[in-house]
Amino acid sequence: MKTEQQRATITDPTDGSRSEGPETGAVVALPEATKTAPSRGNIRALPASVLTPPAPAPSPRLDDYRDIIGQAQVDALRFLARDLKGKSIKMVNSTAVGGGVAEMLNRLVPLLSELKVPTHWDVITGGNDFFEVTKAFHNALHGTGYELTKAAQEIFLTYNEQNRERLQFEEELVVIHDPQPVGLIRSRDNTSASWVWRCHIDLSNPDERVWEFLRPFVEQYDAAIFSSQSFARQLPIPQYLFYPCIDPLSEKNKDLPDSVVQKVCDEFGIDRSRPIVTQVSRFDRLKDPVGVVHAYKLAKKYVDCQLVLAGGGASDDPEGAAVLQEVKEAAGNDPDIIILDLPPWCAFEINAIQRASTIVLQKSLKEGFGLTVTEALWKGKPTIASAVGGIPNQIIHKLTGVLVHSVEGCAFQIRYLLTHPDFALRIGASGREHVKENFLMTTNVKRWLLLFRILEEAKARGAAR
Amino acid sequence: MRKPDKPFYFNTSESLIRIGRQKANNIPELWQGLQTCPDDSIFQHTVRTLQEHHFIRQGFSNDFAHWCLSACNEPVLAEQLASVDVREFTAIEGLRRRMVAIVDAFLQQHPQSATKPAYEPFYFCASSIVILPAQFAPDTLPGFVSALRQVSVHSIHHHFIEARLRLHRMSNDFSNWLEQEVGLTRVAESIERIDIYTNTMEGVRQQIANIVEQSLN
Repeated sequence: MKTEQQRATITDPTDGSRSEGPETGAVVALPEATKTAPSRGNIRALPASVLTPPAPAPSPRLDDYRDIIGQAQVDALRFLARDLKGKSIKMVNSTAVGGGVAEMLNRLVPLLSELKVPTHWDVITGGNDFFEVTKAFHNALHGTGYELTKAAQEIFLTYNEQNRERLQFEEELVVIHDPQPVGLIRSRDNTSASWVWRCHIDLSNPDERVWEFLRPFVEQYDAAIFSSQSFARQLPIPQYLFYPCIDPLSEKNKDLPDSVVQKVCDEFGIDRSRPIVTQVSRFDRLKDPVGVVHAYKLAKKYVDCQLVLAGGGASDDPEGAAVLQEVKEAAGNDPDIIILDLPPWCAFEINAIQRASTIVLQKSLKEGFGLTVTEALWKGKPTIASAVGGIPNQIIHKLTGVLVHSVEGCAFQIRYLLTHPDFALRIGASGREHVKENFLMTTNVKRWLLLFRILEEAKARGAAR
Repeated sequence: MRKPDKPFYFNTSESLIRIGRQKANNIPELWQGLQTCPDDSIFQHTVRTLQEHHFIRQGFSNDFAHWCLSACNEPVLAEQLASVDVREFTAIEGLRRRMVAIVDAFLQQHPQSATKPAYEPFYFCASSIVILPAQFAPDTLPGFVSALRQVSVHSIHHHFIEARLRLHRMSNDFSNWLEQEVGLTRVAESIERIDIYTNTMEGVRQQIANIVEQSLN
């Protein structure tokens, strides 16, 4: 439950807030019992090194990415930014910390500002009642049934008006993230900016009443951006595709020496001399961790391997705890199933575990874009994932990974990849290239610069007419 | 071989994908969409997608073929669509006609396939393209090879694949320059014969560089 949100305007934050963890971003308070208890069956006790959050790392500079994307791509970013020099962007979302949007903005804003496209980041404010309504809207837009009342509409509009009065819009491009602040578009007439709505959620099957309430706001924007073709709606404004991205220099994705990977594995009791099959995700039924255990057991009849289920969400979420219990029961007393209930700041440890893995799984039943898949592909890991949500954008079957539709299919592909290392190596290498081309933070910076240029050109053409 | 009068100006192109309003839920809808979608869409799903997947050596040709295999489980149609080489065309209209003809013939031969729903829709997209100068404008062959090795693969794609649609002729910017400015007709022809569908774009870069270097020796 959120309380009154912070009122500070965040401009070019460089504190690199550390909100990474298992993709969910849920804040897990580590229970006292976990800190001291030994292993609970398959659930491994956590080493002392992960019990407290580490200090935040400084934000990288553009040149830090040169070894990854090449000088030519860095030059292209600088060139794209050159014509925009002095023009500025405002980003507005609903939270400064936690969650994928804040995590992305924490990296994007400093990079755009470094390119001399000053980017300001504002966070809207609201009371509990506002965030209860927007949470319900969020779920409804994902397809959960919802009774949209007049009172809920009033609360939504009132807080949007309050924020509209509080915020200044002096930039040339205003980007509103997600539905919470969508009503700020009412300020558009007082500005000469281009206004863009960046929707990070899947709108393919929304509750129609909520969508019809929001649609008139969305239609006033100059453009909308979605994370997948399948997440978009029929709208009279241009719609662009911006894939979510990962930062290759973040704690979760940066290169690690093998000795560091080994140390983390030793701490968690993972045996690197035998194949390791891993799924990283919170303990949520939609991630199908029990299905993963079944697939592993089917595969294990033919090939030797360990299964690592690394996630979080069981400590602060009753459903997560129930799912963890189901996973534990499914695992039985198999010592090769290693269950790690990690706090959300364990990005570094997740990184090491992914790098130690022979195969990475993401056997979700439903998925957003699936950034854990992106992370695995970036590490060159042969990845087996369900063909749901944004995963098929990342995994081209048998070229950049393997798509499956069932427990049995998943089990077969585990067997196949463990016994065909050349093929596994090839799809792993292609998967990494796919991420490098399409799903890195630097590509995201490029997309924003391209969009800004395109909108500025359109504005200039309009003025000339 | 002669000293070129004009340098080779390396450019590159970057694009932003626009999500279109059309989608196809089965093969007849794909056939319909192929006829009515904007030229930008045909370009995105055949030419531009090669840049987005430049690292794949084999098995990826265009988005239409990929969808017919992965979402419709129609390997025959997928193979036929995948066999279309974008470099045989100097205008989008011809490329569109070829794609439409292939799907049309397939549906006539396999009417039962018309009723099968796809596992997931095909979303017609398009791209907004911005052309940028790269940092290189060599006016010697060694300088050309050196620059070729340093530019991004996007630049290679721009000059080698997209050039046809810009030039409206069966050639590419590299061959064009080598032939017209340096008088290396055979080298230009050898480069023109490089198979983009069995190479990564890095492989294409390497082959072009090797061919030009051999001519220097």
